[in-house]
Amino acid sequence: MKDIIQIKNISFNYPDQPLLFDKLSMDVHEGEWTAIIGQNGSGKSTLARLIDGLIVLKSGQIVVDGLTVNDENIFEIRNKIGMVFQNPEDQFVGATVEDDVAFGLENRQVPREEMHRIVEKSLRQVGMWEFRDRIPANLSGGQKQRVAIAGIVALSPKIIILDEATSMLDPRGRQEILSLVNEIKKQNKLTVISITHDIDEAAGADWVIVVNNGAIVEEDKPDNIFGDIEKLESIGLSAPFTSQLMTALKARGIDSHSQYLNDERLITWIKKLISTK
Amino acid sequence: MDQEINFNQVTHTYQVNTPFAQDALDNVSVTIAPGSFTAIIGHTGSGKSTLVQHINALLKPTTGEIAVYGRTINPNTTNKNLKQLRKHVGMVFQFPEKQLFEETVIKDIMFGPKNYGVSEQDARRDAEDAMKLVGLDENLSEKSPFDLSGGQMRRVAIAGVLAMKPQILILDEPTAGLDPRGHKEIMDLAQELHDQQHMTIILVTHQMDDVVDYASDVIVMDQGKIVKHGNPQEIFSNPQWVYSMHLDLPSSAEFATRLVDEGVPLRHTPLTIEKLADEIAQLVQGGQEHE
Repeated sequence: MKDIIQIKNISFNYPDQPLLFDKLSMDVHEGEWTAIIGQNGSGKSTLARLIDGLIVLKSGQIVVDGLTVNDENIFEIRNKIGMVFQNPEDQFVGATVEDDVAFGLENRQVPREEMHRIVEKSLRQVGMWEFRDRIPANLSGGQKQRVAIAGIVALSPKIIILDEATSMLDPRGRQEILSLVNEIKKQNKLTVISITHDIDEAAGADWVIVVNNGAIVEEDKPDNIFGDIEKLESIGLSAPFTSQLMTALKARGIDSHSQYLNDERLITWIKKLISTK
Repeated sequence: MDQEINFNQVTHTYQVNTPFAQDALDNVSVTIAPGSFTAIIGHTGSGKSTLVQHINALLKPTTGEIAVYGRTINPNTTNKNLKQLRKHVGMVFQFPEKQLFEETVIKDIMFGPKNYGVSEQDARRDAEDAMKLVGLDENLSEKSPFDLSGGQMRRVAIAGVLAMKPQILILDEPTAGLDPRGHKEIMDLAQELHDQQHMTIILVTHQMDDVVDYASDVIVMDQGKIVKHGNPQEIFSNPQWVYSMHLDLPSSAEFATRLVDEGVPLRHTPLTIEKLADEIAQLVQGGQEHE
């Protein structure tokens, strides 16, 4: 599988602060959903900003879809990446939902007719077409995040980076946004990088990278990451709900002998236990 | 009983006398017991924040009255003479770290008490006590609050409220945006203030697991009305009703309903992982004993 992002031996520090990353390397596979998890201050968001060229490396190299992140390539690279931040309000510029989604296209001088078509398609894809005349500030948190996503989808990126994009939403809003991004990922054949400390969100990823103090602690499939509750807790994270339930069952003598089961598999296993009792 | 918080037929209308008039609170009557840990839940726009902002008279009722600590707030209440009330009722807003502004942590925490006329020396002592309460190391005192981590900044902001020694602490989504460790630290702090300092805690939240883990009382709001008031077990016992309020179930109850949908005959709606594990164990092992 192709690595759409290659991070090679990067070092970085903020001015007057110690090194946050010291020769860090990692790859992101094309077409996968990669979750980068770690506690506040672990360096997750800095990583996203380095990939998008918003801040500059001290040493090392980042390659995005074959292009090295540098001054020369930066605009081409940003066309490939859509970033969704924690608070969409920080990014709204348009007076209406429709204007806001059109903004990025105007910037790229897309012809008017085509722009209308793309804006409508993008807003329909996120389920916000009916809200096209509304003022973004008056929408709910989840709706705002949908509009922000439409603005990104309109520019047809290859990669979407969610930087704690759901952390301000209630659990239901969070679930809706994640299913939406998953749907768009499939339809538009995107790569998704999700930076999060929501463990249940990371549990749904194809690949999980655990970051602590600027270093990669572990990277693996969710199944292999979420079996070790103690390790997760030792770096300020929590275990997914199913891992906690499996631990509680094990304490009652009911052992699945699996490292980790997601919701569906755990339900299937419990059903089997009861039906064969 | 003058320590209770009592809402008597309170209505609050935003933009009154305009075409945009909207009832954010609609004839609300409720008593919040002193010393309780009360969670207020309801979907976005249901009136939770409007309700709690009446408790320290940040908002005044359009009709009706609120009694807090022997003080009555009614439509005619002016902003004069509210100092005592606001000293009793500490309010921590969402993302309170956005309100930090002083050069050092200690100065920021001292700002509140000094504002209430406490001497420099006493304000410093109160601020130091508050830092201890929230678990901030004293060697952070002279640091800039803006050099701290997100979780620490939030604790500075909460310490600033605690330095005024309130008896009632209102927390409006205090853990939004924090990682799991920061989340647990803030919630454990709320519990400690409740258990050891005997404060009345009022928590506005979307996190149903916190409601189960920490609250003794729950108020459910919908469209400006209080639709249910009870303990967590009473509130969450009927999953269909909870969903009809556009609310989530606690994780364990949610998982239990999925098991029931799949034909696993659980008898109760368990609110915690331990209880859920008990229920499952009973089904699995209870059956084995019969064989």
